[in-house]
Amino acid sequence: MPDVSKMKKPDVKVVLLGDMHVGKTSLLHRYTERKFKDTTSTVGGAFFLKQWGPYNISIWDTAGREQFHGLGSMYCRGAAAVILTYDVTNWQSLSELEERFLSLTDTANHDCIYAIVGNKADLTDPKAQLSPNSDSFSEDQTDIVEDRTEPQVLSACPTPPASPTSLSGVVPRKQVSREDAMALYGRILRYKGLDEKSSLPADKMCFETSAKTGYNVDALFETLFDLVLPSILRKRHENHESPTVDLEDCRGSGKRVRSSCC
Amino acid sequence: MSVKAFELVPAVERDLLMGDKARINIECIECCGKHLYVGTNDCFIHHFLLDEVASPMGKLSYSAQKLLNKYLGLKKPVAELRAASALERLIVLCDGMVFLVDMVTLESVPSAAGGGVKIRGVIAFCVNENPVNGDPFCVEMAILSSKRRTVQIYMVHKDRVQLVKEVSTPEQPCALSLDGYFLCLALTTQYMILNYNTGASQDLFPYNSEERRPIVKRISREEFLLAAPGGLGMFANAEGVSQRAPVSWSESVIAAAVSFPYVVALDENFITIHSMLDQQLKQTLSFRDGHILQDFEGKVILASTKAVYVLVPLPLERQIQDLLASHRVEEALMLMEGAQRNIPKDKFQVLHRRILQRAGFIQFGKLQFQEAKDHFRKGELDVRELISLYPLLLPASSSFTRFHPPLHEFADLNHLAQGDQEKVLQCKRFLISYLKEVRSTEVVNGCREDVDTALLKLYAEQDHDSLLDLLASENACVLADSVPCLEKYHKYFALGLLYHYNGQDSAALQVWTRVVNGDLQDSTRSDLFDYIVDFLCCCSNLDLVWKYADWALQKDSTKGVHIFIRRPLSTDQSELNPDKVITYLGKNKQALLLYLEHLVLEKKIQKEKFHTHLAVLYLERVLSLLSDSSADAEPLTKARERLQAFLRESNLYRVQFLLGKIEDCEQLLLERATLHGKLEEHDKALHILVHKLRDFPSAEAFCVWASSGRDPAYRQRLFHLLLEEYLGGEPRVGGGGELEMAAVDVLNRHGEVFDAVRVLRVLPESWSLQLLRPFLNRAIRASMHARHTSQIAVGLAHSENVQLLHDRLKERKKPIFVSEKKGCHLCHNTFKEPDVVCLPGGVPVHTHCVAQRIKDSPTKRHLTNSSNHT
Ligand SMILES: Nc1nc2c(ncn2[C@@H]2O[C@H](COP(=O)(O)OP(=O)(O)OP(=O)(O)O)[C@@H](O)[C@H]2O)c(=O)[nH]1
Ligand SMILES: [Mg+2]
Repeated sequence: MPDVSKMKKPDVKVVLLGDMHVGKTSLLHRYTERKFKDTTSTVGGAFFLKQWGPYNISIWDTAGREQFHGLGSMYCRGAAAVILTYDVTNWQSLSELEERFLSLTDTANHDCIYAIVGNKADLTDPKAQLSPNSDSFSEDQTDIVEDRTEPQVLSACPTPPASPTSLSGVVPRKQVSREDAMALYGRILRYKGLDEKSSLPADKMCFETSAKTGYNVDALFETLFDLVLPSILRKRHENHESPTVDLEDCRGSGKRVRSSCC
Repeated sequence: MSVKAFELVPAVERDLLMGDKARINIECIECCGKHLYVGTNDCFIHHFLLDEVASPMGKLSYSAQKLLNKYLGLKKPVAELRAASALERLIVLCDGMVFLVDMVTLESVPSAAGGGVKIRGVIAFCVNENPVNGDPFCVEMAILSSKRRTVQIYMVHKDRVQLVKEVSTPEQPCALSLDGYFLCLALTTQYMILNYNTGASQDLFPYNSEERRPIVKRISREEFLLAAPGGLGMFANAEGVSQRAPVSWSESVIAAAVSFPYVVALDENFITIHSMLDQQLKQTLSFRDGHILQDFEGKVILASTKAVYVLVPLPLERQIQDLLASHRVEEALMLMEGAQRNIPKDKFQVLHRRILQRAGFIQFGKLQFQEAKDHFRKGELDVRELISLYPLLLPASSSFTRFHPPLHEFADLNHLAQGDQEKVLQCKRFLISYLKEVRSTEVVNGCREDVDTALLKLYAEQDHDSLLDLLASENACVLADSVPCLEKYHKYFALGLLYHYNGQDSAALQVWTRVVNGDLQDSTRSDLFDYIVDFLCCCSNLDLVWKYADWALQKDSTKGVHIFIRRPLSTDQSELNPDKVITYLGKNKQALLLYLEHLVLEKKIQKEKFHTHLAVLYLERVLSLLSDSSADAEPLTKARERLQAFLRESNLYRVQFLLGKIEDCEQLLLERATLHGKLEEHDKALHILVHKLRDFPSAEAFCVWASSGRDPAYRQRLFHLLLEEYLGGEPRVGGGGELEMAAVDVLNRHGEVFDAVRVLRVLPESWSLQLLRPFLNRAIRASMHARHTSQIAVGLAHSENVQLLHDRLKERKKPIFVSEKKGCHLCHNTFKEPDVVCLPGGVPVHTHCVAQRIKDSPTKRHLTNSSNHT
């Protein structure tokens, strides 16, 4: 958070969208603080400023709760990348992406890129139970022990088992396969009116992650940051050309939001 | 998580406003400089003068003085008041009507010709604080009209208002704010941004304004604060983008304002204060019947229905100190850095540094060393603040006193660690690493002694390897403190280094020798003796060298003598010249021998005295071994080899002298032969070798050695001598055959050095050809070879000669033309005879001209050399 205080102007915006409890906040924590810690359901939204080479990237963590749904399109306005997050053990969380969240991205940049991320892979996939390096894995273990002491407040879904040992007990079923996610990616491209061939391939843009173990988390954010670099450069260039913003231009998309969500 | 960021200070008490009239309520307020205007529900405007009073304690309070109150005559509540100070007008909204009153008299302004001052049918209005039109004598105002779905823009002049623009909205607006061309509106179901100039609009987010009261508050250039669903305070800019994360209020929030870096909000019972920097709730003040919260030129004023209060921000410095006091370092830093622009630059720097330092100490107290170090470094901490935490580390001579007010609350390390030795140890290790890092930077300018002494003490106490590095390199350790410390931890070797660094070599040697003698215990160096010897080698104080040389030689003469041997050739030779050293080493034969070997064999000093001395020492050793019948053969062999080698190789010792010493020693015949050889008494030498020793290989070797470096004839002479030695004596019974065989062998082996003809003459007739075949073969072959080689040489010389003749002729053939028409270059007369001299380049001149010229100018004499006669 100290980054925020310096009020650096972000060059580009990345937004995390997805139903409540899928682990958006946890993903951001994992990436920025290298830890998995206890979270409470996000209120409104929060953001983090990430220094990426010479650029500042703001990553917005939105609230998945229905109550804050209306704020989504504002957060997405001007976004260069949107991370649509679901929970691999929860089919509903994937379908919500299409039904509830996709329309929020109408305000994003025309060339916005989309990633579909199935989180909590540690619950279903043995290879996601090991963190990229065993150092932080052991660190995770201690975190979890601490985490358990505080009760989780706002959780609508049953809390998944937190320690890998209890996996042998209640194993949540994997409800969403990667293919399902890739199919959704295809439909998103169609919704956006984008040509599948000239867009980034589904294979590259669909991730399965675990905020808990760190599995694939760095890969996700770093892939996206690399992909938004051209967008930053273009934005800088444009700002150079015309410092004022054409509201007329955005209005069309704003209208569309309303028609699709109300 | 609370900070005391604000204090609620009463400004206008109930008594002053309405006395005991129970039904009268405050409806609106306006503040402009010291002038406070309050509108009430009984259609009055009250005008107060508000003065800040600072108590001696530094506490702020307000005193309000009532200037005037005025009934507007409409019997309706005064809904809103806004000052246009440049116009000296108050804009009033009352009974759905906007009109102007004089700021001082509160009298209604009569309408001027050509324009009214009243606008009817107004729900709400706002003033543009950032108008595009820069005219200072008019104010831009936006109005929500009861006429449905429109916003009107007016220009307010001193005595009239003028409609300049009307824009329609998709829904009925109910709250508004204005910045530049941008209207921020709360509509029935959502918020939107509307550019009244272009008509362009931007939806922000849905909000049900009928359910909950919307808030639209301009907080800075083109940025607004809005009440959002779920009790959120959302930020939005004119582009419709949120650049800050939202803050979380209660659902019943009534009003909000920004007092950087805080968002202040009012609900039914509380004032909540969130930081814009981290969105966290920082302070909650209970406030009943809260009703109005507005900021005026940075001053936040609140009102209940009956009284007015000012929300006074505590100085940022205080807030930051408070945060630090409760160990909330990160928050303090964030506040500091976030509020940078609100603090003058020089003050900021001082404060920032102090906070970083304090933050560092707090983290230090929590043993978060990495973070502490970063903060200390960024905060440019005087390292002595840190050192002073550790008892007795600073030198007694240090002038340091801790900063006041204190940067931390620890008395010392023990207080901090509460007796936990592990903690103390960690802190010490940290200090070591920290001091090690900073000691080479400018951070320690002016306190180098303190830092280095502290580091030395830590190293000594912790038995740290770097102690020696510290002392062996440039350092500023204070002697008075360091000596007792090193003694305490038995770091005597280090102590010596310290003395040495401080120019007290004598003290250093004294400590070290006591360690070697076992009087003091320090195992730092197991080879301390060698170290001392090396040290003395380089020691420039010769008195010390002499003083400790005795000790060293006594300890170990072989090693001790290195004091002299390894001594680099210094300029100051007078004191330590070899003669003096040799005299000094005197009876210490072992050391003397090593020293002489060093002089003679290594340094190759060509002095007869040394050579003779060395030879004598070698000889004495051999003799002493010879006389000791119990001694092993091995050392004797070795000693003799050494002696023999030296006798052979050196040409400087006094041969006669040595010869005298061994003349009657029958055991050293070989040596004697060598000495005779040195005197060129080869016959004597060979006689010894052949007849006394009967060592024929040595005899041959002697010939080779004695003639090495001489011409072949010399060698030939020696070999002939040898041959004579073999053959010359009367053939003795028994032994004669042996000598003859030796003669045959030497002939066959070294045939090439002999003069074959002379040999054949002296050989006994009886010898068979067969016996001498290798010799004769070689002799014939050698003579043939010599003949052929000389023939070839003659041939080659001849052909070279011919070649040169040929070349010469070729050169000569080039013609040089001389005719009677050509003139001499020197006298310009024509040539009359063919005898000319050519100057370089083939220029012909008269012989006499050249002769004349050379006579005139001696410097040009070389001309004759380079010219050709024709
Ligand atoms: N096993 C497992 N649990 C996770 C993982 N990520 C998050 N969780 C848990 O899921 C719950 C919700 O996580 P959050 O990060 O708060 O979810 P969110 O998407 O931010 O939710 P909202 O803020 O309400 O939108 C928490 O209890 C986390 O501990 C994961 O990778 N594996
Ligand atoms: Mg969250």
